[in-house]
Amino acid sequence: MDFFSNIGLGFSVALSLTNIFYCFLGALLGTLVGVIPGLGVLAAISMLFPLTFHLEPTTALIMLAGIWYGTTYGGSTASILLNLPGTPANAVTCLDGYPMAKQGRGGVALFMTTVASFFGASFGIILLTLFTPIIAEYALQFGSAEYFALMLMGLVAASTISEGSAIKGLAMVVLGIIIGLVGMDTQSATVRFSFGILGLLEGVSLIALAMGVFGVAEIIMSVRRVKTADIDPESLKLKAIKPSRDEMRRSWFPMLRGSSMGSFFGTLPGTGPSIAAFLSYAIEKRISRTPERFGKGAIEGIMAPEAANNAADQTAFIPTLSLGVPGSATMALMLGVLMIHGVAPGPNLISSQPELFWGLIMSFWVGNLILLLLNIPLIGVWVRMLTIPYHILFPAVLAFICIGAFTSGFSPLNVWMVFAFGVLGYLMRIFHFPGAPLLLGFVLGPLMEEHFRRAMVLSRGDFMTFFERPISATIMALTGLVLIWGVVSAERSRKRQLLSEGEVDHTPEATDRPT
Amino acid sequence: MYRIDYTDLVGGLLLVALGAGVSLVAIQHYPLGTLQRMGPGMFPAILGVVLGGLGIMLALQALRRTGKRPDIRVFSPLFVLAGVASFALLITPAGLIPAIVSIVVISSLAELRIRPVSLALLCLALCLMAPLVFVVGLGLPIPLIRWPL
Repeated sequence: MDFFSNIGLGFSVALSLTNIFYCFLGALLGTLVGVIPGLGVLAAISMLFPLTFHLEPTTALIMLAGIWYGTTYGGSTASILLNLPGTPANAVTCLDGYPMAKQGRGGVALFMTTVASFFGASFGIILLTLFTPIIAEYALQFGSAEYFALMLMGLVAASTISEGSAIKGLAMVVLGIIIGLVGMDTQSATVRFSFGILGLLEGVSLIALAMGVFGVAEIIMSVRRVKTADIDPESLKLKAIKPSRDEMRRSWFPMLRGSSMGSFFGTLPGTGPSIAAFLSYAIEKRISRTPERFGKGAIEGIMAPEAANNAADQTAFIPTLSLGVPGSATMALMLGVLMIHGVAPGPNLISSQPELFWGLIMSFWVGNLILLLLNIPLIGVWVRMLTIPYHILFPAVLAFICIGAFTSGFSPLNVWMVFAFGVLGYLMRIFHFPGAPLLLGFVLGPLMEEHFRRAMVLSRGDFMTFFERPISATIMALTGLVLIWGVVSAERSRKRQLLSEGEVDHTPEATDRPT
Repeated sequence: MYRIDYTDLVGGLLLVALGAGVSLVAIQHYPLGTLQRMGPGMFPAILGVVLGGLGIMLALQALRRTGKRPDIRVFSPLFVLAGVASFALLITPAGLIPAIVSIVVISSLAELRIRPVSLALLCLALCLMAPLVFVVGLGLPIPLIRWPL
């Protein structure tokens, strides 16, 4: 069987000592970053990104992916113990997790969310294994018009579905594409927007952009705001984490429903873990016979969202690996890693780089098992992490960002780019412009321009080509619907917000996909 | 609360300025080509117009609604960014260790409080750790310290 030999191949790659080590490192760092509020997954991935230059592309991706799903495991810790989500995807977990902690059942909540996370992730990995190759095979018949339409849909969805104004999201996508234009044009060898700086010939560094807009800007916003935790270590001893039989029984179906919801929303552009977690919480509350328990420490209220966000973490890889079209900023970074290593993303990836594809997917099993082991016996250690004061953390993070930027080209220019994007990122926070669409636009922009021009050449300059080819036309129609829906729902939620205007929200803005 | 949303108004106008700038540079400096054979200037020129258009829409919306006071801070961005700049300035002429010390010291001022002991310990820890990870571990050729004499 072809399928089983592929899985075998994947495990042989994933189980090599180097890959296990980097998978462990990624999972460990991810948990760390997830636990600590004020340090987002994008900042973390971009910070560690330069380290991966010196690794094989497969190993690099395994480690970065480990960080990505590791943060979701770790993020629930801060949600439960501090009522402060470690990552936006864990925000709903606060609703019932924090009350559980206040009732002295914090240990149980931490244990059970780890179980839910593992369950959700396993569900996602199985779907990923089954569907990615099928979709990729189907996508082999796509031409430039289809790719342009797909990327357009991804960008429109990602910028309009997330919180806030659809106009701002779209504007940031466009700005990201413009920043992506800097440097040598691949088709005519004209240098664009380099302002005479020699180092900009190769374009703006993805790492500098991500580290500036997410890392530096986030630090600026979090300084003097993130408070250090005060936690009672007694409730977290190993014997205090055992759930009751009743809690176990009530957890099964929420986990199953959460995983299915998460898997579905993970694959769509623009939705992802945060929205999946919110919706699955809403559904659990709706179908529960005792909805009044929600918000007061109902175990269902932490199991469903934690299963959902982890499942979504895994299925987010389906469009990224099968089509080469990322649905979120983090996935755009993953794609960026591939391209920096000279691997062309797209439907050919699976057949041309089977070791990379299957090795990466099978490493998800390794990583999730490692996370299970890391989280359950070591809960106490992670909780202690919460007590590291931010005034020690942020200068250290900043130093690592700068060293990382410098080593990605051995030139101070990259550090200056971090500086410039730090300024841009801070301005964006002031004006409430979201960062994720900017990064997506930056990564997808050059690909889109290439496909757009190629499609125009093939159609002899006729725009109708995007609407005449059936697949492309369908995607374009969907894009239109998403756009209209995004604008309408943003307007409606703004009206609702104005009606119930209360406190100004002071939490640092979400880094990946705001909820 | 303001009568109109100044944050979005200014944000929108900035987008208009940026979009106009991009389009102008593209039209003046790079060949546009035709739709069938697009030159390197065509795509940026279109994008600039789209960005400006979105900016106008944002600014118009802002006129029709009330707004909140924007969350502007002076010291956090000042010290954090100054730290990054000091790193960029020092890394080539002075080497890794002075650059680390300067970014840690300057950026930690953003707390608006000086904790000499924890700051010194942090500098020491990072100056030991960073060379270990990057120079010894990854074998990158970064000079640790360079005397500018």
